[in-house]
Amino acid sequence: MGFSLYHLSIMKGSYLGEFEELVLLTVGSLYKEAYGVAIMDEIESQTERSVNVSAVHAALKRLEAKGFVNSHMGGATNERGGRRKRYFELTLSGKKVLDESMALRTQLYSRIPNISYSFSY
Amino acid sequence: MQQQPPRWADRFLRWYCNPELLEEIQGDIYELYDREVAQHNVRRANLRFIWNVFRFFRWSNIKKSNSEYQSNQLGMFKNYLVIGIRNIRKQWSTSLINILGLSIAIGLALTTFIFIDQQLNMDSFHTKRNSIYQIINTVQEGDSDLARWGDSPIVLGPQAKLDHSVIKDFTRIEFRYGNLRRGDYVFNEFMAFVDPSYLKMFDFPIKYGYRSALEEKKNIVIGEETAIKYFGEEDPMGQPMSIKFANGVIQQYVVGAVMDKRPDNASFGYEIMLPMDNFFDLRFNDNYDWAYFTDATFIELQEGADPKALEELLASYKELQNQSDSRWTITDFELISLDGLGTEAFDIQESVASAGHPAGRIALGGLSVILLLLACFNYMNIAVASATKRLKEIALRKVMGSDRRQIIYQFMLENFIQVILAMLIGVLLSYYFLLPGFSYLVPINVPFVFSSWGAMVGFFASLLFVIGVLSGGYPALYISRFQPVSIFRGKEKFGSKSIFSRVLLGFQFFFAFSTIVGSFIFVDNAKFMAERDWGYDPQGVLSIPVANNQEYQKLRKAAAEKPEVLSITGAQTHIARNSTYTTVSNLDADFKAYVYRVGPEYGDLMGLKLKSGRFFEKDKASDMVNGTYVNERFVKELGWDDPIGKTFTYDSSRYNVLGVVEDFHYYTFWVDIEPVFFLMVPEDDYNYLVVKSDPEKLVAVDNYLLSVWPSISPNDPYDKAYQEDAMNGFHEENRANIVIISFIAGLAIVLACLGLFGLLSFNISRRLKEFSVRKVLGAQSVEIIRVAGKEYVWVLTTAFLLGAPAGFFMITQLINMIYPDPKQAGALPFIIAVLIVLVTVVITISGQIIRATRVNPSENLRAE
Repeated sequence: MGFSLYHLSIMKGSYLGEFEELVLLTVGSLYKEAYGVAIMDEIESQTERSVNVSAVHAALKRLEAKGFVNSHMGGATNERGGRRKRYFELTLSGKKVLDESMALRTQLYSRIPNISYSFSY
Repeated sequence: MQQQPPRWADRFLRWYCNPELLEEIQGDIYELYDREVAQHNVRRANLRFIWNVFRFFRWSNIKKSNSEYQSNQLGMFKNYLVIGIRNIRKQWSTSLINILGLSIAIGLALTTFIFIDQQLNMDSFHTKRNSIYQIINTVQEGDSDLARWGDSPIVLGPQAKLDHSVIKDFTRIEFRYGNLRRGDYVFNEFMAFVDPSYLKMFDFPIKYGYRSALEEKKNIVIGEETAIKYFGEEDPMGQPMSIKFANGVIQQYVVGAVMDKRPDNASFGYEIMLPMDNFFDLRFNDNYDWAYFTDATFIELQEGADPKALEELLASYKELQNQSDSRWTITDFELISLDGLGTEAFDIQESVASAGHPAGRIALGGLSVILLLLACFNYMNIAVASATKRLKEIALRKVMGSDRRQIIYQFMLENFIQVILAMLIGVLLSYYFLLPGFSYLVPINVPFVFSSWGAMVGFFASLLFVIGVLSGGYPALYISRFQPVSIFRGKEKFGSKSIFSRVLLGFQFFFAFSTIVGSFIFVDNAKFMAERDWGYDPQGVLSIPVANNQEYQKLRKAAAEKPEVLSITGAQTHIARNSTYTTVSNLDADFKAYVYRVGPEYGDLMGLKLKSGRFFEKDKASDMVNGTYVNERFVKELGWDDPIGKTFTYDSSRYNVLGVVEDFHYYTFWVDIEPVFFLMVPEDDYNYLVVKSDPEKLVAVDNYLLSVWPSISPNDPYDKAYQEDAMNGFHEENRANIVIISFIAGLAIVLACLGLFGLLSFNISRRLKEFSVRKVLGAQSVEIIRVAGKEYVWVLTTAFLLGAPAGFFMITQLINMIYPDPKQAGALPFIIAVLIVLVTVVITISGQIIRATRVNPSENLRAE
C-alpha cells in the first residue's frame, strides 16, 4: 500500500499552526456551540480579522485529523435550509496541546528581560 | 429561506462536494446567505454565496474516490483500452477507413495551419517590428478610385525625421539594376540602395561583418547566395567589387558584410545592398525633390509614440509633394506597422513586401475544415452502424453494473485512441508528404515549424478535443442509451433507418459535390487563363540588353547574318521586361498609362494585332516626333469613336494617334490591362535588341549570339530573355493552384466514398437475411440492387442538388478574388462532377451490391 493523503497528514504530527490554534481556542471557548459559522463569527469578533468560512472548515478538518477535536452532527432545524450542523468539541489531547502551547508562551514570556523595554528607537 | 441562492452555484457545489461533507458545508453557506439577505441585500448575498461556493472548492472538499475504488477505476480504464484496441483489430477494415480518413484530413489541416500560421506571422523575427512603420501613400489615379502605393517621396524620410522628434530613425529603399562584377564574373543583378540604419532597424541575420557596415560609403553588403555566386569558397570580406549602372557610371565597392540566409517568413530582404549616398552620386536625375519617389520609406518611432498622431502631422507634407508633381498627387500618408505589413501587402501597389493573398488562406482553411468534418462524419456514421455488432457487449456491461456514463467513457476512449493514431499518421503525412509538396508548389518556402509553442500546443490540443468530441460524442451518446432488456429481447432497432446517419451521409456528399464542382470550375478557369491569347506573339522572340548604340549596331549586324533571324529591332522599354507608368492628359482629363519606347519594326516583330491605322514607319520623321499607337483600353479610356488622328498630351508634347492595337498582356494575366501607348525613339536610346526568329531555331540563334557577345561587349553580361518565359511565374502559380484544388477535391470524394462504403457494407451485412428471403420469394438481382441502393440514391441526389450550386457560388467568389477577368462557368463542370462522383460511387459500392445479389439463401437463413 502506498501513502495516502490521510497517512501523510497523520505523519505531520501534532504541530499546531497559528490559525489552527486560534480555531482550537475558539472551539474550546464556544464549548457546546462550536460549529463552522459560529466559530467564524467568534474569531471575527474577537480578533477583528476577516475569515472565510471555508478556511475554518479546512482548519477544523485538519484539527480533527490530528485528534484535537471531536465532532458530531446536531439535530435538524428549520434554519439553514434544513441542513444539520456539525458541532466540534475539544478532545483531551486538544486541551493538552493548548495547555502546552500556553505554557511555552508564558515560559518564554517570563524570560524576556526588563532591559529590553528600555530600548528606544 | 424565502430567498433562494443562485441555483447554478448551488448545483456546482453539490457536483464537486464530497457527499459526506456536503450537508455541513451547504448548511453553513445557507446560514451565511440568509444572514446577508437579512442584513444587506439579495445581490450582495448572491455574490457572497457564489464566492463561498468557490472558496470551498478545494482539494479536501472535492469528491474523491477511496483507494480501493480508484484501483478499480484504473482496472476499468485498462479494460476499455484493451477492448478498444481489440475492436480496432477485429474490425480492421472499418477502423482503417476511419483512421485513414481522419489522418488525411488531419495531415491536410496541419499543413494548412502551418501555412496560415506562417503567413500571419510574417516578419516576426524583427524585434522592433511594433515600432517600425512603412509610410504608404494614398494616391488618386486619374478619375479612378484611391489606391495605396508603397512608394514615397525620397526626401520624406530625412525631412520627417528632422521635423518630428518621435521619429527615431528611418531608412529608404531604392531599387536599381546594375552589372555587378568581381574579376571575370559579371552578372546583371537586382540591388537595393538603403540608408545605413537599415541593418540596425531590421534584424536580418548577419554572417560576417557588423551591422554598421552600411555606414561606410564604399561598402557593399551581399547575401550568402551572392557571396557563393561570386566568391565560391573564398572569404568575400574586404574584397573589391564594381557595379556598372544603366547610365554607364561605374562605382567601386568593397564587401563590408555578408548576410545570412533570410528567415522563411521574411516578406522582404535583399541580396545586394548599397549605402544610399551612392545612389545620389549616380545622378540619374538632376535633383531629388518631392517629385522623386523611392520604393519604400520605413521609420522607427520612439517607444510609446502614437502612429495616428504622426500620420496627421505628416499630412503637412502633402502640399510640398503636390506642388512639385501635379501629375501624381498624394491625398494621404498612412503608417503601416511592420507587424501588419505582411497581411496588408496584397492591397498595396508596388509594395516591397511580398506575402500571400488572403484568398488563398481563406480557401485552404475552409477546405481543410470541411475535410475534417467529412472525416468526422465518417467516423460517426460507421461507429453508429457498427454498434450493431456490439449490442450484446453493451447490454452485458450494463447488466454487470456499468452506468451510462461509463459506457460513454468507454466509447469516447475508443474514439480517442483512433484519433490519436490518426493524429500521429497525420503528422507524418504532413511532415513527409503534404507540406513538402505544398512548399514545392507555392513560390515561398514553408518549413515544418510553428510560430510559437503556444500555437503548436493549442492547435494539437484543440484538434484532439474537437475531433474527439465531435466524432465520438454522438455515437457514444447513442450507443449508451440502449436498454439491456430490449437488447436481450432483440427489440432494439438501429442504424440504417436513422435519419441522422442519412443526414450525415448527405452532408458528406454535399461537400464532395460542392468541392468537386468548385474545383472543376476553378481548374476550367485556370486552364482558360493559361491558354488565353497573350494579345501578341511571344514565340521566337528574344531580347538582349545592350549598353549603347555601338553595341546595338554590332549585335544587330551579327544577328542579321543569320538566316533564321526573321526580323530585328530595338527598344528602350520592352514588353514584359520593363515599362514606364506615367500620366497622360487629354483636354481636362488625366489618366495613368504605360508607355513603351520602341523601334519602328517593334509592332510587327512582336505580333501586336493592329485594329486600325498603322505602326511606325521607319523613315517618317513625323512619326518619331509626335506619332504614337495605343491599345484598345487607351481608346476606351478616352471614349473615342474614331481614334485615328486624335491627339493627347504627354510630357508637354502632343501626340497623334496613328494606330490602335488589340489589348495585350504586357505583364501577366494576374494584372488588369491598363491604357498603353507606344512612342518611337532613336537608336541611340535603345536598351534592348529584340530579335524574332523561327521558333524552332530560337535556341540556335541564342547560342550564336552568346558566342559573338564577348567580342561585342566584353564588360557586360549576356542577359537574354525568351519572350515565352514572361508568363512562367503565372503558369507555375496557376499549375500550383490546379494541383492543390484538384488534390483537395479528390480527397473530398475519397472521404465521402469511404463513408458510403462503410455504411453500405454494414447495412448489407445486416440485411443479408432480408435479401435472402426476397430471393427465395423470387426477387431478381435488379430488384435487390434497387432495394439496397434506394435510400442512397435519394441522399446522393439531394446532396448534388444542394452541393453543386453551393460549390459554384463559393468558387465563383474565390475566382473573382484572384483572377482579374475570369471566364464564365459553363455546364461542363457540373456534368463532369456528376460523372466523376457517379463513377467513384459505383466503383465503391459495386462490390457490396454484388455481395447482396449473390447471397446464398440456404446459408443465411439456416438457423441452428
